Amino acid sequence: MRVIQKKVCLLGDFAVGKTSLVRRFVEGRFDEKYLSTVGVAVSRKSLERNGHQLNLVLWDMVGSTELSHREAGYLSGAAGALVVCDLTRNNTLETMQRYARQLRVVSPKAALVFVGNKVDLTDERIISNDQLLAISRLYQGSYYLTSAKTGVGVEPAFEQLANLLEGLDGTITT
Amino acid sequence: MDQSPPKPNNADGDDPLLASIQQIVLGPAQQRIEALAQEVALLRQQMDDTEASAEKQLANLDRELQAARQALYLAEDRVRELEMEMVALRQRAQSDSEGLLARLAPVFGNLVSSRIRENRDEMAEALGPVMGEAMRVQIRESRDDMVATFSPIIGETVQQAIGSFFRDLQRNVDRQLKSALRPDNFGRALWARLRGVSATDLAVRDSLPYTIREIFVIQPGSGLLLTRFEGIEKPTADSDLISGMLTAVRDFVRDSFQPQARAEGHLDELQYGNLRILIQSSTDLYVAVVLEGIEPTGFRARMRQLVDTLQVEHGPALRAYNGDPATLPDLQPILASFLVGPLSETAVSPGLSRGQKAFVAGGGLFIVLFLALACFYLRFTVALYPIAFPSSTPTITPTATVTPTVTPTATATPTPTPTATPTNTATATPTNSPTPTFTMTPTNTPTNTPTATITPTPTTTGTATPTPTPPLGQTNDSVWVRTAPAIEAPLITVLEINTPLVLISVSGPWAEVQWESDTPWLTGVWRGWVPLRVLDLRADVIPITATPTLTPAP
Repeated sequence: MRVIQKKVCLLGDFAVGKTSLVRRFVEGRFDEKYLSTVGVAVSRKSLERNGHQLNLVLWDMVGSTELSHREAGYLSGAAGALVVCDLTRNNTLETMQRYARQLRVVSPKAALVFVGNKVDLTDERIISNDQLLAISRLYQGSYYLTSAKTGVGVEPAFEQLANLLEGLDGTITT
Repeated sequence: MDQSPPKPNNADGDDPLLASIQQIVLGPAQQRIEALAQEVALLRQQMDDTEASAEKQLANLDRELQAARQALYLAEDRVRELEMEMVALRQRAQSDSEGLLARLAPVFGNLVSSRIRENRDEMAEALGPVMGEAMRVQIRESRDDMVATFSPIIGETVQQAIGSFFRDLQRNVDRQLKSALRPDNFGRALWARLRGVSATDLAVRDSLPYTIREIFVIQPGSGLLLTRFEGIEKPTADSDLISGMLTAVRDFVRDSFQPQARAEGHLDELQYGNLRILIQSSTDLYVAVVLEGIEPTGFRARMRQLVDTLQVEHGPALRAYNGDPATLPDLQPILASFLVGPLSETAVSPGLSRGQKAFVAGGGLFIVLFLALACFYLRFTVALYPIAFPSSTPTITPTATVTPTVTPTATATPTPTPTATPTNTATATPTNSPTPTFTMTPTNTPTNTPTATITPTPTTTGTATPTPTPPLGQTNDSVWVRTAPAIEAPLITVLEINTPLVLISVSGPWAEVQWESDTPWLTGVWRGWVPLRVLDLRADVIPITATPTLTPAP
């Protein structure tokens, strides 16, 4: 079977849930413990597509408010990215936008999916759907509401990214 | 009154009609009675049969019951025996646990082996945590016992590993010997020798065994795996992760230590246990070779050649790779040629490194300086040779100053004044101890007692030259040096054979010699007496004669 590889980065502020999203997507589990990612952690998820296999090589990057020189180097060759914000922290939305802008500089054709994580914390939610929609339109992406804890929206978000990577929705391809 | 029943009528005799009527009326009843009688008889017969069968069955049941009872008794006996055996086994287990273990070990061993064969993963999963914890506890509580237990096993394992290593080494040495006479190897050996590496060390270095586990060809920016080669060993589980993480580490190191010069330098090597990952980079790819052991000389150069080949032949395609293998050229033939190609350093030498160039330049400069110094030294030596080694006969420099003081006591007549004319003829060797003789002859008997003081002035023959005296001989044997020309004189030291020395004087069989000592306990110029026979003297030794002159005091 033909195997296609794509490099995908997970970007976002501290503790927005990037690693938890990867863990949920790759291993199907959630861990309450928070461990800050050091540098970058690389994982892989294989998706069975129509007649071929798509290997998403997930680069879970250290959370920060802005990309450093080193982290910008990690974006090199990325076919797409999941840009994550925490729906309960407003400042993570600004960081999300900053990341999207920087990624466009490094990889102009990269596919983007914006993710508002921790949707299960309904009482604490601050960021609205309209805000996410505005950003996703600005960067020609799409947005998803997810919860790494419950698993809601995680698979669809990555599936959407896979579709974008393979040009199935006709929007952005690499 | 007669109550007897009425007698039946005789139908045959009395009334045939009645008889026929009876026959007609009672016939069916009679037949019925007969049938019933037969039926009763049959039933009685059946009853008898049934009773017999029941009795038979009862007898059988009795027998079975007896058998069952017997079996029960036997079973009870067996149970009792087993209970007794169990008690005995328990007692034996308590008293002889080692013997029991020895007997049970094969059984359990076979059982465990069988289970492991059937389902290895399951057994590992089940036993792993328990065994791990048990071993930790055992090691903590009885470390010495564990060491004693595992030492033979580990020792054997290590022995096997070492044996395997040396077999590989032997094969490699044999291969090296076959190729030792190649010109490039000779040149390399010479170069190594110049750098202070002996030929033996070089041969051993080249013969060390190594194994290539895997080769990854990776796109530098994305970390996507372009292709890979799997060795004989079990390949890495997830090459995508390896290539991605390797790229991340490589970028991390580069950005951490060379943030200003991204194009310069790359991570060259990683080591984990006995595994090493050698990395060779190019513009559009880098190659990571995972190997075990120590790679031979020239391996790096071959990696460089591999990377260059890939870059030159497929650079644009590798740069444009977006994860779809359909767009990727077949890189396996190039990898295969890398694996089977010869390890010829000269063929792929990338030129001298900066350090090597500095070494060569320094070596050249040193040789030039050495030659210049040698020329200067030769010229200096030639110029000073006549001064240092004059061709004239060496002169003897007697250092003796003879000042004998003679105080003769004579009786002379006061008038006339006696005239004493002593004639002192002394033959002095160049020592400080001349022995002058004099004769005083008064013409008449003096009346007074004059005191004559004679101060002889020795006149030595020969020419005294204050130049250093060259050695005039040497000892032909080891000999004691004495303070005086006598066998009983105190000893100074021992002169070793062939010690250069200067002959000072001769007294009978003794020779006074001077030598220079550099031993820690006796440094400087020394003199002493040695037997003349142990000296090898040059032919031109000139004897020294001292002639003191005595001048009597007035």
